[in-house]
Amino acid sequence: MGQFILRRSLASLIVLFLASIMVFLGIRALPGDPALVLAGESPDAATIAAIREQFGLDAPLPVQYANYVAQTFQGNLGISTKDRIPVADILVERLPVTLELTSLAILVGLAIGVSAGIASAVRRGRSTDYVATGLGLFGLSVPHFWLGLIAILVFAVKLRVLPASGFVGLGEDPVENVRRMVLPALVLGTGLSAVIMRQTRSALLGQLSADYVRTARSKGLSRSREIRHGLRNSLTTVVTVLGLQLGALISGAVVTEQIFVIPGFGKLTVDAVLSRNYPVIQGAVLVTVTGYVVVNLLVDITYAYLNPRLRLSGASE
Amino acid sequence: MRLRLLSLPLALSLALPAAACSTPGGGSGGAGDGTVKTGGTVVFALSDEPDVLDPTLANTFVARVVFTSFCEKLYDADDKLNLVPQLAAELPKVSADALTVTIPLRKGVTFNDGTPFDAEAVKISLDRHRTLKGSARVKELAAVKTVTALDPATVQITLSRPFSPLGAQLADRAGLIMSPTALKKLGDKFGTSPVCVGPFKFESRTSGSEIRFTKSTNYYDADKVHLSGVTYRIVSDPNVRAANLQSGDVQAAERLAPTDALQLKSNPDVTLRDISAIGYQGLSINVGNVAGTAAPAGRVNTPLGRSPQLREALELSLDRDAMNKVVFAGQNAVDCLPLPLQSRFRPADAKCTPYDPERARQIVEASGEKLPIPVNLLVPARPADQKLAEVIQSMAKKVGFDVRIRQSEFVSSLAAARAGDFDAFLIGWSGRIDPDGNLGDLVGTGGSNNFGGLSDPAFDDLIKRGAQASDDAERQKIYTEALARNAQLRSIIYLYHERWFLGLSSKLTGVVYPGDGIARFKTAAFTG
Repeated sequence: MGQFILRRSLASLIVLFLASIMVFLGIRALPGDPALVLAGESPDAATIAAIREQFGLDAPLPVQYANYVAQTFQGNLGISTKDRIPVADILVERLPVTLELTSLAILVGLAIGVSAGIASAVRRGRSTDYVATGLGLFGLSVPHFWLGLIAILVFAVKLRVLPASGFVGLGEDPVENVRRMVLPALVLGTGLSAVIMRQTRSALLGQLSADYVRTARSKGLSRSREIRHGLRNSLTTVVTVLGLQLGALISGAVVTEQIFVIPGFGKLTVDAVLSRNYPVIQGAVLVTVTGYVVVNLLVDITYAYLNPRLRLSGASE
Repeated sequence: MRLRLLSLPLALSLALPAAACSTPGGGSGGAGDGTVKTGGTVVFALSDEPDVLDPTLANTFVARVVFTSFCEKLYDADDKLNLVPQLAAELPKVSADALTVTIPLRKGVTFNDGTPFDAEAVKISLDRHRTLKGSARVKELAAVKTVTALDPATVQITLSRPFSPLGAQLADRAGLIMSPTALKKLGDKFGTSPVCVGPFKFESRTSGSEIRFTKSTNYYDADKVHLSGVTYRIVSDPNVRAANLQSGDVQAAERLAPTDALQLKSNPDVTLRDISAIGYQGLSINVGNVAGTAAPAGRVNTPLGRSPQLREALELSLDRDAMNKVVFAGQNAVDCLPLPLQSRFRPADAKCTPYDPERARQIVEASGEKLPIPVNLLVPARPADQKLAEVIQSMAKKVGFDVRIRQSEFVSSLAAARAGDFDAFLIGWSGRIDPDGNLGDLVGTGGSNNFGGLSDPAFDDLIKRGAQASDDAERQKIYTEALARNAQLRSIIYLYHERWFLGLSSKLTGVVYPGDGIARFKTAAFTG
């Protein structure tokens, strides 16, 4: 197991290094000069030159990359060109917000997805199955943006039971924080629950028709224990899907944060790209890639833990 | 030294009571009825996130919106876009040679950190605007040679050339005055905790979410301030802004979509106010941008670039009223001039090129060009622009143009336009209250926003004369001539001015919404 973790960790570091180069070059390949964006509506050459110098944009690309790497190792991710706030401060402020939102969305996704998946698999071919599958298809197809607007119209405008937008920190007012997170988490979790439902259903159906379950059933195992056995073996698929869905969750968070005015990480990244805010893009992508890599590493480890054959097959490769 | 007033008759400024100096017009009519309450915080849905809250460095329109709550300027603009004194006590006095401008200042004013407001503070701010590395104000104050504090209540500005738009610049971000104490303490980080003179003082900023202000106890007009605070919440989507207003989560929302505004009109909990924005939307035609806006203009070898007649044909093919109905539910104000509808410099008898597809077709057919004539139309990727581009494409097709729409994200489209990589570019201008700010940099030779690369010495001369003349009547005459020449050259086909809708809770009164389209909350209050 130790060797397995070490191998996967080294691979993750290489991914991080390559990602930093790709992001650095990728954003600079975009048309649009950040100095021009910053110079205002009526830019003049002297102001543009001063801004380039101020943010180190006049240096050759290898020098800019070296500075970026050196600064990153010192824990300094630079200054946001838009609002002149240290990037690290912005990330520290924004990251927990998106983590809270995505965690709640995962909870919503798991709660709805797993239970609907079980119900659908157990009652295969019956009305429960059709309803759950139909809702799953709806959850997959409906855009977050539309769902968010509908949720605001129903719960905030018509029923007035939940706020339409805004964010209050967990430490500031926990009750208000939860009240303001309910709609965004439901909206973001809906798509995820649909994916989880479909995966749970198909994995559980596979397990329930497997030989070992049939044998257990023939020996008089109760239906509920039969499902429990099948479900445990289906969870590896669900865990893998959850890891793979992280990207979709982050991109969904961008839209959800935009609609519900949540100062999260996804919105920050998109806004930074649109305003060519290089330090924020670099910092945000670095943190996102790190998060992605770490989550996938954890998924791999969990997977190996749940299925010991994987550890052995990894070692023999 | 003989003194005369810049832009407005002296009588107007002297007639203004001191208290009125800082409150522009715009119909402060209350939305709500009942007793005015003291206290409460207005949450205002802002359409975009402001950049740094440093008057020297800020360059977004929304930053201008936020500044109105905590950072006053030397001058402000009223309903008709006339200058009214704000931190200045009177309108600027200009010497006979138009090279010296004297500004009397309000007395007994303090910044929100308790620092006294005086001529030295004004000098420090104006010098910072002119000299700080990366300042976005350098060009706006380029004509300023020196700033001198004559006495604690008088500032004198000397100019390198006569420059009438100076008053308008001082009614914009270049006129924002910062606390010298805060500047000394924070330096180039002033925007992280800005301090000015204003009805509210900066409290906190959550990046990407909201900016909070609380009532200032140092404000000279504090007895007129009823609210205990203003919070600007960034809600980028117009439909979401409208929903937030309806749910009561925000009490004011700017720039609502015309379609939402139509619906909100019947909502008793919401009051709507609207103005015609000072900016414009137009179709820039590449007539001389061969190597970028920074390079000298050249000869563009495209049918539209070569032929003013074909540009006329393109304009004749466009039905502005139909565009407005189809894309904006008829809510915008169609126009063919770059000046705001409220501007006193607009020619009285301005006539637009009428919609005449027959005549357009005749010009196209007589041009000798191979039909259909290709037009590469660059469009920023925004929903309304996309719709508008499709309408233009369809209208122009009927007379023989093959408009090919090329959508690009906003910053990329600006980069392509500056490089001259377009035949036509659908782009607007946020607008300025002085005509010079809507012409010189946009259609004058070498202008940084002259995407089309127009270079016409006769037009440049008119722009120069317009900026130098100090008499309003003379300026209007010059600009009438300049606008006629501009219409002939057609490097921009002007289409419309946006109508901006401000939604307010019916429990909110006293919000001022003047001609510049920026809501002021100084006198706002909740009603019981």
